[in-house]
Amino acid sequence: MSQAEQIIPHGHVLRYTLRERLTHWVAGFSYVYLLLTGLAFWSPWCFWIAVILGGGQVSRMLHPWAGLIFVGAVLYMYGMWAGQMRYTDIDKAWWKAVRYYSTNQDDKMPPAGRYNAGQKFLFWGFFWGGILLLLSGVVLWFPEYISWNLRFLRYLAIIVHPAAALFTIGLFMIHLYMGLFAERGAFGSVIRGDVSMAFAKRYHPGWYQEITRQAAAPRK
Amino acid sequence: MTNGWVDIKNTDMMLIMGGNPAENHPCGFKWAVEAKRTRNAKMIVVDPRFTRTASVADLFCQLRAGGDIAFLGGIINYAIENNRIAKDYLLNYTNAAFVVKDGFKLPEDGLYSGFDPATQTYDKSTWNYEEGGDLSGKASAAKADPQTKATSGKPAAPHLPENAAYDLNLEHPRCVFQLLRKQYSRYTPEMVERITGVPKEQFLKVADLFTSIRKDGDMQKVGTIIYAVGWTQHSSGTQTIRTAAMLQLLLGNIGRAGGGVNALRGHSNIQGATDMAGIFDNLPGYLKVPVPADTDFKTYIERITPKPSKPRVWESFNYWSNTPKFAVSLLKAMYGDAATKQNDWAFHYLPKVDRNYSWTYLWDNMYNGIVKGIFAFGMNGVAIGPDSKKNIDALKNADWLVVGEIYPDETSEFWRSPGISTDEMKKIQTTVYRLPCAGFAEKDGTFTNSARWLQWKNAALPMPGNSRLDQAIVAEIFLKVRDLYKKEGGKFPDPILKLTWGYTDPSNPSLAEVLKEINGKTFADSEDPATKAQLKAGQQLPGFSWLKDDGSTTCGNWIYCGAFTEAGNMTARRDNSDPSGLGIHQNWAFSWPANRRVMYNRASCNLEGKPWDASRRQVWWNEATEKWVGNDIPDFKADSKPKDHMGPFIMNAEGVGRLFVPLGAVADGPFPEHYEPTETPIENPLHPAQTHNPIAMRFKTPDDKYGTPKDGYDIICTTYRLTEHYHYWTKNNPMNVQLVPEPFVEMPEELAQEKGIRGGDTVIVSSIRGTYKAKAMVTKRIKPMTIDGKKTYQIGIPIHWGYRGIAEDEGKTAKTLANNLSPAVIDPNAYTPEFKGFLVKVEKA
Amino acid sequence: MSQATLRVQKISGHAGGVPGKDTQREYTVSKLIDTTTCIGCKACEVACMEWNDLPFGQTVFDNTYQTMPETRWNYWNLILFNEHEREDGALMWLMRKNQCMHCADPGCLAACPADGAIVQYTNGIVDFQQANCIGCGYCITGCPFDIPKMNPETHRVFKCTLCADRVSEGLEPACIKSCPTGCLHFGSKDDMKELAEARAKQLRDHSNFPHAGVYDPPGVGGTGVIYVLHDASNPEIYGGLPKNPHVPWSVKLWKGPLKWLGNVAMIGGLIGLFVHYLRYGPKAREEEDLASRPEGGRT
Repeated sequence: MSQAEQIIPHGHVLRYTLRERLTHWVAGFSYVYLLLTGLAFWSPWCFWIAVILGGGQVSRMLHPWAGLIFVGAVLYMYGMWAGQMRYTDIDKAWWKAVRYYSTNQDDKMPPAGRYNAGQKFLFWGFFWGGILLLLSGVVLWFPEYISWNLRFLRYLAIIVHPAAALFTIGLFMIHLYMGLFAERGAFGSVIRGDVSMAFAKRYHPGWYQEITRQAAAPRK
Repeated sequence: MTNGWVDIKNTDMMLIMGGNPAENHPCGFKWAVEAKRTRNAKMIVVDPRFTRTASVADLFCQLRAGGDIAFLGGIINYAIENNRIAKDYLLNYTNAAFVVKDGFKLPEDGLYSGFDPATQTYDKSTWNYEEGGDLSGKASAAKADPQTKATSGKPAAPHLPENAAYDLNLEHPRCVFQLLRKQYSRYTPEMVERITGVPKEQFLKVADLFTSIRKDGDMQKVGTIIYAVGWTQHSSGTQTIRTAAMLQLLLGNIGRAGGGVNALRGHSNIQGATDMAGIFDNLPGYLKVPVPADTDFKTYIERITPKPSKPRVWESFNYWSNTPKFAVSLLKAMYGDAATKQNDWAFHYLPKVDRNYSWTYLWDNMYNGIVKGIFAFGMNGVAIGPDSKKNIDALKNADWLVVGEIYPDETSEFWRSPGISTDEMKKIQTTVYRLPCAGFAEKDGTFTNSARWLQWKNAALPMPGNSRLDQAIVAEIFLKVRDLYKKEGGKFPDPILKLTWGYTDPSNPSLAEVLKEINGKTFADSEDPATKAQLKAGQQLPGFSWLKDDGSTTCGNWIYCGAFTEAGNMTARRDNSDPSGLGIHQNWAFSWPANRRVMYNRASCNLEGKPWDASRRQVWWNEATEKWVGNDIPDFKADSKPKDHMGPFIMNAEGVGRLFVPLGAVADGPFPEHYEPTETPIENPLHPAQTHNPIAMRFKTPDDKYGTPKDGYDIICTTYRLTEHYHYWTKNNPMNVQLVPEPFVEMPEELAQEKGIRGGDTVIVSSIRGTYKAKAMVTKRIKPMTIDGKKTYQIGIPIHWGYRGIAEDEGKTAKTLANNLSPAVIDPNAYTPEFKGFLVKVEKA
Repeated sequence: MSQATLRVQKISGHAGGVPGKDTQREYTVSKLIDTTTCIGCKACEVACMEWNDLPFGQTVFDNTYQTMPETRWNYWNLILFNEHEREDGALMWLMRKNQCMHCADPGCLAACPADGAIVQYTNGIVDFQQANCIGCGYCITGCPFDIPKMNPETHRVFKCTLCADRVSEGLEPACIKSCPTGCLHFGSKDDMKELAEARAKQLRDHSNFPHAGVYDPPGVGGTGVIYVLHDASNPEIYGGLPKNPHVPWSVKLWKGPLKWLGNVAMIGGLIGLFVHYLRYGPKAREEEDLASRPEGGRT
């Protein structure tokens, strides 16, 4: 599908294909499960979550599998999006102006492309976070098979896993906030796949220009 | 044991040699640890391997297997040279002062006087005391003493002289002490090093530490010697133990709390087996068995009853003078009313033992077709060996075999031994009857432990399936045989038909009834003249002092008399109180003889009857009552005044301890001499022309081969048991199998390196007789040794595996028997095979 | 897991108060293992299996008298055999009964996330409650002695209970009862400490062990199993007994600063975002979007 075909009548534009949306939600749901069960293991005050989710044993059993699904989705995303997530000069400028972004003065922001620098950071944050979680998670999955001589791996894993998780939780909270509350229309984009041209123009001016320019060009 | 398990806690010094009590007697070993903890007692361990016992020792010394007499002889030499001896004890309580007959020769060339090379036997007539009186201070004139000369010229004396010559200055060249000194002066530290491989400095450390208890003539401290089959299982086994006994006499350690010579028995009731005549040449209570020359009871009694032999000025209780009472009471117990004075108390019913029926001879006879069948109860004859192949070959020749066991074992399936082909199996005609027996926890009865305690136990579990009690099986066989005799007559039915069998259930005698019978009872009202105690006819005897030789008492085993009295089953007593704190526990079970815990305890006192050590008061002379009293039962004539100088060793005709064993009480010499094991890497450094014990018994079948270094067998091998397993049984128990799953061979790192063997590799150990396949345990705990200048390796093999068991049945082991390797050669006194110190070679499989 | 009716003073993964804490006056119990009188007879191993009805397992010959290389989920008590050559050339065959040390500050309990899977009773016994165990294995990482072992089938972790069931009935642990040489003792921690120090002094004064001493490592707050060692300056020779054991740094970091930091960050983040929303609201109001809402479908 060429970018030109993304433009949908009535002023809407396709932002995420079905494949992208599915991947997002696979990652999303698995992450939420991981987050909930992880929180249960994180603090006794959250252990009730594990109880609700079928008990500690079930949670412990499924958590690593959910982790694999999550990391699988993240890696798939990498395949889909890594090319679009390259860091550009505009991103540099974007970060410099991020305080305007956070105070809703989007007009003072440099023109972001399909993904702004924050989204790219989210992507790479989850990617590297996912890698760390995977590696430490494997150790934590089978601690009994890590020999006494290699116990430093367990010591490392037990600190890396929650640290990486906390990092992704931070990303996740911002992601959720942005998607659900801050940017009206963003949530719809991962459900329906499209956003309004106004949305595109407002939040991703670079991308907006690109697609409108292409739409104006004659078809071959 | 002269002493007992608990008594070990009273010691100051332990020499543990020829035994690995931590491994094989962990429960009893508690008391050795207790002595260390509460008295700072020192523990010396001398062994071919660094054992579990060595792991808690204060001093460990690695010895060549078979060098024990040389090592102990060296300590004797050290003790004498450094005056670390108990002078008063030695003089008064041993035969050190006795003068030996002229013509007696020490074995400087390896042979005592009287050896006949043609028959390989000794004429022991010179192995005796000189007849005569006090030769004290007459040392120089001794040889010219006409009386002495006259006596020595006479033909061999049948028994000991009644009036033994003596020299209280211990200076007479033929007095026992001087001979002893001369004999062991050859066992210098250098010689000890050559023979045993123990470096001189290390030997001196041991000798110094052990004899340090007699430093400066101090008599307070006590040392014990603890041993097991590491001493017994040699072709000079008995003499090794004698050497230890001599050392203990020299140091004045026998009869005393924390002292003694203590044999650790290898099974729960092996002491009971020997007490109850589990040996062919004994009757119960160590009465000698009749021989064909004993034509009547009188001849028999005269032969086996010793007469006192002592310096005229001393007394000797000579307790064996009561032998007629023991023998008559035994015959009355066996034949009841059928034993009368007129028929010599049924003496003629007893079989007369015409030759050696000991273990190895039995198998040799079966091999040669003389013995036609065997009852194998509670033992696994094929696995026990020695020379398992010979035993298996012997069973092939047998007509029948009856095995009473709790598991299928190697003996009952001897035809499944590896190496026997299917064709060969078809040719074996032996009929095997396998009887399921009850296990130890399914039976009641007594165990007699190493400390001579008879302890009653209850059955803990019901018997499974169709299994039966041993005594029920034996009883039924007896009843069937008796019926046959009744019906068919036979050549000599009386010994069977007239045997007492008065049990409530004749086909399944209760062991309590049997114990009552062993204890014995009286047929007539009687009174003890000393205590005025009364006994009514039919009552159980309170002790062996009540036994009579007039047929009015019965007793199945005089030393067990007192075990089941009118007061009940004394072996079931469980009062562990111990007022003296010496571990005597007078009201716990029953200790033979007479519930006495330490034998010869008169020797714990000085001549005046006061304890050598006031803090360990066992018995003493009570001046007021003029009686021997104490915390323990005095092992002595209760009213014998100290000034009468009665010897404390009341079971000896001399009344004193024997440094020199007269006549033929020990077959291979009055003093022990080091002889090389039958298979040895060297010639005897003491006398190369006489390397071996000249009268050790070998066999002559094609299976009896003896290897030499020339044949390539140059590694010394010793066999033993592990804590984790019990003989050949526990290989059937998953718990034990989990603890030690597979057979292994322990070997020095250096040997392994030489042969390219790594720990866990499978190796083949072979002797000239057979092979053994197992995994290598490469260890620092056995070091290479230098024996007479020659670098020599020792290896060790735990014996517990065979061809039936969990690992065996799962095909995880090679199914060879450790005793495929061991030689059939036996000690001439106890007839114990040489399981320790034979030659092998080792290869990587 | 035991059926003991003991009071609990510490619970793993537990929110809120501990029911039994400080409600009872009780002695801290302790095992004393005198390695200098241990003969490696394995009676304690067998007693442990017998009392706890542990199933039999397979073992393989491994060039040693030691039953197996390390404890197992179904083998809680293992004597470690080590051949050691002293500086003076004398050989030592060291035998150390290895099992849970019942630390006063148990690393396993600290690391455990499952509510009530690990408890410490007021008498000091650290006990696993397999019903509550979630099989995460964090205790394995938390333990400085390599003791908790996972059953690979049930995914529950097991270890020595110090026979809490026996102790709660006033009996000594099975291993103690079975010891033939008296190398094992059981009693209050104070009594055991005294006994151990006396024995160590005896070894220093009367045997050739100038460095004899007691092993009761402070790094884990002391242990409910203390050793008398021939050479307390070098516990590593006893099959790797750690010289200064402590709860692993990462577990401490995780359960300490990281937890604190993480909770602050997460809660702070939530609050921050909420305040941000109150202050700035959404980037665009809904009605602005509604204006361009499409009527038709999409691709």
